[in-house]
Amino acid sequence: MSDDEHQFDHKADAGASKTYPQQAGTIRKNAYIVIKQRPCKVVEVSTSKTGKHGHAKCHFVGIDIFTGKKLEDIVPSSHNCDVPEVVRTDYQLIDISEDGFVSLLTESGDTKDDLRLPTDDQLLTQIKEGFGDGKDLVVTVMAAMGEEQICALKDIGPKN
Amino acid sequence: MKGQLPDQDMGMEQPGWQQHPMVGSDMERLMATMQAVEQACSSLQVPNSRVAAEATLLAFRRSSHPVQACQYILEHSQMATARFQAAATMQEAAVREWGLLSAVNKNSLRTYCLHYAMARAETGEAFVQAKVLAVAAVLLKRGWLDSVAAEKESFFSEVRVAVQGTHGPAAQRSGIALLEALVAEFSPSTASPMGLPAEFHEHCRASLELDYLQQFYTWAQDAAVSTADRAVQGVGTPLDVNVCAAALHLMSQILNWEFQGTLVRGPNGNIVVGKNRANVFTSSIGRESVKRPGEHASVVQPGPAWHDILLQPNRIAWVLELYERIRQGGLGGIGWVDSPLAVSARQLIVQFCSLSGSIFPADGSTSQELHLQRMMSGISTWLDPPEHVVGVIKSGTSESEFLDGCRALVAIASLTSPSVFDQLLRVGARPVGTLNLLASLTCEIIKASRSQGSEEDTWANEALDILLDSWTVLLQPADLSKRIPFPANGTDAAAAVFHAYVETHVKAAAASAHDEGDETEQLRAAIAARDEHLSAIALVARAAPSATVPLLAMLISERCSWFPQCTGGRVDPTAVLEELHWLVLMSGHVLADSGDGETPLVPESLSALIPGNADPVNHPAVLLSQASIDLARQSLDTSLRGVFSPRLMEAIVWFFGRWVDTYLMPADAGRGPNSTPSSNEGEMPGQIANPGQFDGRNSLVVAFGEKGGGKAVLEVLVRVSVTALTAWPGERTLQEIVCFQLLPALVRRRNICAHLVTMDSWQELAHAFAYQQPTLSALAAPIQRALSEALCKSAAGMSSGEATNQYVKDLLGPITGSVSGLTKREDFQTFAQQPNVILQVSCLIERLRGAARATLPRSQKAIFDVGAAVMEPLLILLQTYKHQSSVVYLLLKYVVDWVDGQVAFLEAKETAILFHFCVRLLEIYSAHNIGKVSISKSNNILSESQTEKYKDLRVLLQLLTNLSSKDLIDFASDVNSDVENPDVAQVVYLGLHIITPLMSVDLLKYPKLCRQYFTLLAHMLEVYPEKVARLSADGFGRIVGTLDFGLRHQDVEVVNMSLTALNAIAFYHYQAVCRGQEGLGEHALSTTGPDGVVKDGVLAHFLRSVMQFLLFEDYSNELVEPAADALLPLILCNTAFYQKLAQELLEGQQNAVLQSRLATAFHVLLNSNQVSSSLDRHNRRRFRENLYSFLSDVRGFLRTR
Repeated sequence: MSDDEHQFDHKADAGASKTYPQQAGTIRKNAYIVIKQRPCKVVEVSTSKTGKHGHAKCHFVGIDIFTGKKLEDIVPSSHNCDVPEVVRTDYQLIDISEDGFVSLLTESGDTKDDLRLPTDDQLLTQIKEGFGDGKDLVVTVMAAMGEEQICALKDIGPKN
Repeated sequence: MKGQLPDQDMGMEQPGWQQHPMVGSDMERLMATMQAVEQACSSLQVPNSRVAAEATLLAFRRSSHPVQACQYILEHSQMATARFQAAATMQEAAVREWGLLSAVNKNSLRTYCLHYAMARAETGEAFVQAKVLAVAAVLLKRGWLDSVAAEKESFFSEVRVAVQGTHGPAAQRSGIALLEALVAEFSPSTASPMGLPAEFHEHCRASLELDYLQQFYTWAQDAAVSTADRAVQGVGTPLDVNVCAAALHLMSQILNWEFQGTLVRGPNGNIVVGKNRANVFTSSIGRESVKRPGEHASVVQPGPAWHDILLQPNRIAWVLELYERIRQGGLGGIGWVDSPLAVSARQLIVQFCSLSGSIFPADGSTSQELHLQRMMSGISTWLDPPEHVVGVIKSGTSESEFLDGCRALVAIASLTSPSVFDQLLRVGARPVGTLNLLASLTCEIIKASRSQGSEEDTWANEALDILLDSWTVLLQPADLSKRIPFPANGTDAAAAVFHAYVETHVKAAAASAHDEGDETEQLRAAIAARDEHLSAIALVARAAPSATVPLLAMLISERCSWFPQCTGGRVDPTAVLEELHWLVLMSGHVLADSGDGETPLVPESLSALIPGNADPVNHPAVLLSQASIDLARQSLDTSLRGVFSPRLMEAIVWFFGRWVDTYLMPADAGRGPNSTPSSNEGEMPGQIANPGQFDGRNSLVVAFGEKGGGKAVLEVLVRVSVTALTAWPGERTLQEIVCFQLLPALVRRRNICAHLVTMDSWQELAHAFAYQQPTLSALAAPIQRALSEALCKSAAGMSSGEATNQYVKDLLGPITGSVSGLTKREDFQTFAQQPNVILQVSCLIERLRGAARATLPRSQKAIFDVGAAVMEPLLILLQTYKHQSSVVYLLLKYVVDWVDGQVAFLEAKETAILFHFCVRLLEIYSAHNIGKVSISKSNNILSESQTEKYKDLRVLLQLLTNLSSKDLIDFASDVNSDVENPDVAQVVYLGLHIITPLMSVDLLKYPKLCRQYFTLLAHMLEVYPEKVARLSADGFGRIVGTLDFGLRHQDVEVVNMSLTALNAIAFYHYQAVCRGQEGLGEHALSTTGPDGVVKDGVLAHFLRSVMQFLLFEDYSNELVEPAADALLPLILCNTAFYQKLAQELLEGQQNAVLQSRLATAFHVLLNSNQVSSSLDRHNRRRFRENLYSFLSDVRGFLRTR
């Protein structure tokens, strides 16, 4: 486990995006949280007390938003947790290159060429087929703690 | 869906079975069948071959004319399970093919079963025997109404001979078993399905009750007496004991019968059954009737006819004596307590204790009391003396006799008044009454249940539940006329029970204080169970308030005074905290009831109490309340606060949430019991109108009324609330109880609000809230919402409408300012995505939503202005946070609540503003959500995003429903002004247009969403059918698709609303066509698809669906009326198609008799009762009548069940 932490530490440093503190007691299901230096979506929160007359603590179960791995953490509810900034940006898809990278059009008119196609089969097929059919596709890219991934796709009508 | 109608015929010919090899002679064929069944039965045990085996057996069950094979198997197979399957098949086949059997066949089949069971009474396996007898019972019932009296006579005389024991004990037992099977079969809740109308089952039930049940009972009783005699004298066989137990069991089963008691014979000798329509359309068959929770004894009310059979003194005495014999070890052997004989006898005795109603002569319940006295003296030996009885059980003896004794007690308690109950044991020289026995039993059990540890399902807990039930029925009888003063010794007894309970539980609390926090304790069900238990005990406490309430006050004050010693960690306070936690919860239950929205009164026994020295301060309720207030006040002292744990604060805050409703500044303060209700609120409080009538009510008013100490208490409570919200950061449960229970209670009544808004503490809170002080902004968003709601609600206490609006404006102004300030930032698009900003925005929206939920008629103007001020910023937020579904959801929720609060009051101009805003909101939302496909590495997250979508849709539907309610409720004053009222329907249709593409059949599987959708749809179609007609083919098709789905739904409400919607469009179409208009136009026409398949017009399509539904599905009878209302216009729109459908059904019916019945029924449906082709109310009503009789006529044979 500690190996993982070290591995991700430098990754997190490399990213521009920050994390923000937030009181554990206010973090609910479906919110984001950093567990073991990974950005996670909270899928389960339960509270318990340290002894009947102790203070509340929160038990979080999170899913790593990039890898889908399950992570858990226990934090006293009055303490702060790190919450990642998760940004989703829509780009128009302009090209898929042979080596598995996509070419995206940013709002300012530049292109962004550093993203790989997603590994998810369903999305991959949809992107490839949609692109092949000449559809106008908008992909949503999710970024958090220095990582990026295509996470959604929208068909905005056939290319004219 | 299409084409199913003709397929639904009887389904008798199943090809599967016929494919088995048909070998030469009959014998060989039967042999082969037997082997196949045996083979299947044995491979049923093997997992791999189970599916195939099941298929074989099912095919056998459905094969036609299997009776011969069944009989062959029953007689020749060595395998019991095969014989069982054969019996089951015979039952199914006989019911299914009943119409094909000749009278002789039926008779002989029945006799066959009886003889089969009798002949093998000694050797056959019990389960096969029982099944064969059950088949006999089913056959008898199936032919019950057709067979003549003589036939039944001969059958029953045979049974009777067997039950009398003429053919030996084994046959006797079989006879009894047959009677049991019959009673079960004829009782509608345990009847097996026969595909017959409920009326049939009702007739059978009535006939058995009237003509046979008493006979059966007498036979069973005679059998019991004779076998018991033999067993006691030791001259019989060992089987005698078994037979006796079976007979007693039958007797008790007969007493379990749902007696109607009111059956009479009509002049022609037929039994008159009440012609109610209940249960004609559902198969209630096979469903167990649901018992009310906590009911440990159901009342037995067999009616006057049973008096002689049941209540002859020697009959009752015989059972009691028999049981006494068993107890003394004469019968049943070592484990006699749980032997079938003892169990059945006890059950019968408990039922005797539950006898009530017209079986007793109308002599002012003298004879009932006499009877109960007799029973009580019989069962008291099971329970008395309590110490001894409980001690014996603790040392390992079975507890079942004790539990049955408790059940008998609760049965008796529920039939008597407390004083009669108490007298039952005071016969002769006995000094103590029943109440004392009940009390000492309860005390013993309380001690025993503690020593057993905290496990749930122990006998002591069960016994305690039953005993507490006894107290509850005595102290709070359902029949108010029995509510007469509790006997004095009963009060003492109750006090003793409560003392024992408190003592044990305080000890237990101290002992468990250091345990780990139990997470399951937080579950709603666990809390509900605890509350139920505590309120039962609280009833006992209230029976003796002058002893019990001061006890609690003393215990709390005592512990409260230890607090100063606990500061600084010198003494570990944990045990004291846990004791206080328990005591505060208990006190809350004793002092007040939970109101559930109503204002609960002070419990009668408390308000009637006259305090010591006539000094209000000495009133027990005042003492206990004051002790709790003092405890709460200590938490305000910063030097002592450290001692208070979150858990104790939770209990304290909960206590006051409940207490406030009942005691704080009661609305009828100062009113004597005789004063007129019209006197103004709070005009004469505090002053005691007539000192001679000084009672507890006045003491309480002096202590906590508006002019008394109420204001000081209110101040304390506000400070405690603020402290609880801020001094224990992160303790969400505590904050929730403050915001969802205590604060709402404080602002519930206007007279309290009037004081609140003038208080410094409240104003400080409002100020801190408005200017978003960090302590309050750190609270979780829903907590902030509730806080906002409470603060806004307190505006009701302002003296004028103007002041109210100003107060709300001051409170929310800074918040709207923050919202629009945020959205105006240049870098907002990027800034907005920071988690801390998202949190802030969520909290602000939640605050707005809380305010919107608190909209009062007086503050509506201010809340509208607040809403209008944030409209533009909100649209920006919706755009910015298109990927943050949680923010989008909160935003939509806010708009829903805002619209809900506003829509009824708005003038045309404001309405236009609001509708315009909603349309833009919907447009932005749909732009970001239509056609979007999300994926994620994790299925978990993916399903979450699905759920989010579902929640969004629900909110959108709510919004549309709220918007469309503008048409229904409109309080706006300028109805006739020249400003054009925006067309609500147009807005809602635009909304529907946006929503339908987001809607999918998968999403409709969520019950809440589904209901909302269909509510909206039915409403829209009813009110604006002409707008639907103008929808595009695509949009219309979608609505039709969802209606198809709705018709097949499980939820009665959804089906009902779908039918309402259908009625609306068919009605509209028919009327339009009659006027020569287009109606639904092309939607109603049938079309030929490109593949040449003819697609029915939409109305024809639904006519088929509704017919299909009515004839073949299982549904609640409340759906027949809406279905009739939908069916009539559908038929009128498509008469030709209706004829075609009827023809299809007739052709599908092979049986000539049934075919002609069906034809007649179809004819009657549209022609009797002067049904015409109009759609006015009278005609619809007549058609409903016709449909009812049509359905009860034909469903029986169309549906085979």
